[in-house]
Amino acid sequence: MKPGSLYRRLNLSAFTLVMIFLYIPILILIIFSFNNSKIVAGWKGFTLKYYLLLFQNEQIKLAFQHTVMIALTSTLVSTILGVLAALGLENKRFKGRKVLRALVYVPLIMPDILMGVSLALLFNFLRVGTGMLTVFIAHVTFCLSYTVIVIQSRLEGFDYSLVEAAMDLGAKPWLIFWKVKFPLMVPGIVAAALLAFTLSIDDFIITFFTSGRGFDTLPIYVEGAIRRGTITTINALSTLMVGFTLLLVITTKRIRKLLLN
Amino acid sequence: MNNSRHRNTFSQLEIRQVKKRNLQSWFLSMPSLIWLTAFFAVPYLIVIIYSLLVSDIYEVKFLFTLGAYREILSGAYFKPFFLSFRLALITTLFCIILGYPVAYLIARSSEKWKNILLVLIIIPFWTNFIIRIFSWRIFLSTNGMLNEALLSMGLINQPLEIIRTDWAVIIVMVYVYLPYMILPLYSVIEKLDFTLLDAAMDLGASERKAFFKVTLPLSREGIFAGSILVFIPALGAYIIPQLMGNQNSLYIGQIITYKIKNIPRNWPVASALSLIMLIIIAVILLTGFSIYQKRKFRRMDEAR
Repeated sequence: MKPGSLYRRLNLSAFTLVMIFLYIPILILIIFSFNNSKIVAGWKGFTLKYYLLLFQNEQIKLAFQHTVMIALTSTLVSTILGVLAALGLENKRFKGRKVLRALVYVPLIMPDILMGVSLALLFNFLRVGTGMLTVFIAHVTFCLSYTVIVIQSRLEGFDYSLVEAAMDLGAKPWLIFWKVKFPLMVPGIVAAALLAFTLSIDDFIITFFTSGRGFDTLPIYVEGAIRRGTITTINALSTLMVGFTLLLVITTKRIRKLLLN
Repeated sequence: MNNSRHRNTFSQLEIRQVKKRNLQSWFLSMPSLIWLTAFFAVPYLIVIIYSLLVSDIYEVKFLFTLGAYREILSGAYFKPFFLSFRLALITTLFCIILGYPVAYLIARSSEKWKNILLVLIIIPFWTNFIIRIFSWRIFLSTNGMLNEALLSMGLINQPLEIIRTDWAVIIVMVYVYLPYMILPLYSVIEKLDFTLLDAAMDLGASERKAFFKVTLPLSREGIFAGSILVFIPALGAYIIPQLMGNQNSLYIGQIITYKIKNIPRNWPVASALSLIMLIIIAVILLTGFSIYQKRKFRRMDEAR
């Protein structure tokens, strides 16, 4: 297509529009977190007051601790289960393959609300009090599909010549696994773990149904604060969270580069 | 004779190896199989059971009845289902209209630009979901930035009432689900054979005709995948209508959540509504895939 053609210009303007659309909310958050005003309208001067308030807020501290704790534990468990399941799925003749694949893929397209409702009712049926344990279980459940798929997709593009070479050289199976195969799987495992971590810290709906009163994660706290109208510190909190996720992504890139070299 | 016995023992060994490998696969898969059965499949059985119970204002009584289904059949929940369906449809359409040109532009950029543009699309989604919705509330509110800007430019005389309307819900829905459309579209358009487009245009087709006759039909697969990824989660939307919409048009996700969380609770009705949603989704997926498969086969026949 000619560079100056009508369609190209149309695409470019659509792209610019979408970019503005995507970035407006984030820019607003960052700008208004430094605004010296109780309501979020009009510029009243620069301040860092809300950042200071943020660090004095015990509820936010607690919610932050909960979020990190849940994210770390559910990432660990879902990644370990994911590695095992991906290795199991490698064997195409294995009878449980179809069932496991269905159990892994179906949760991905289901609306979150259905998983939230069904888990809430399960915990009620079992008389398990909602709190940290139930949130942990829920987070492992929705992260597991993603970790299995990410690790499995890396295994599919796997270079078996190395494994075969090790076998030809007479290495024992477990030695082959730990010395040859596992190191090659590491980038996939890291990618899966980071995905699980971000999914966990971002989740609202499923946590909302499984957390009950007294165990707030950050998204739950933020939603409550929006509802109660106590929103002054949220902009500051959000800006820090944007910064935190960006940092996470940049370190991921670094780690991945280090691992691949 | 000798040869065949040799082959026999060899296959015995092979069978043993295959068996060993299958056993290994069972062991490796077992934790995930158990976990997903216990916490993904079994909970739906509980939902089925709870949909057949008698509701209490706090919990349920373990008495079996079809009361919840009778209540739903009376038609009281037709409107929220209709609204959710309409919302999911409109969201999907807007995502296609906005997402297609973007995906096309990225797919036809140089390798270096492709990565940069894709990252630009994804970055906003590393920000917390609730926080992004909150930000839209600030932007669209009656004394918010959009209205201030439009007023100062003299484009409007009175602030627009966008927040707490269905439009606010649609805007944020499109915002949240757009990447789920752009990414599958991109991956399909990227693999298109663009020489076909050039050929059509060399043969005298106008740019528009070439697009509608060649490019668009060839990217059908991406539109299909993207539509599923947008439409189905959009059907169950709760928090976006809750934070952006109003209480006069309640969506099915809101009704289910209220019946689970707010007193007076009604878990049997919430369960039955969830099951109906599940069935609708299953029907959509199955018909979608079968139409898609048929088309594919018909095209293969035509090609022959």
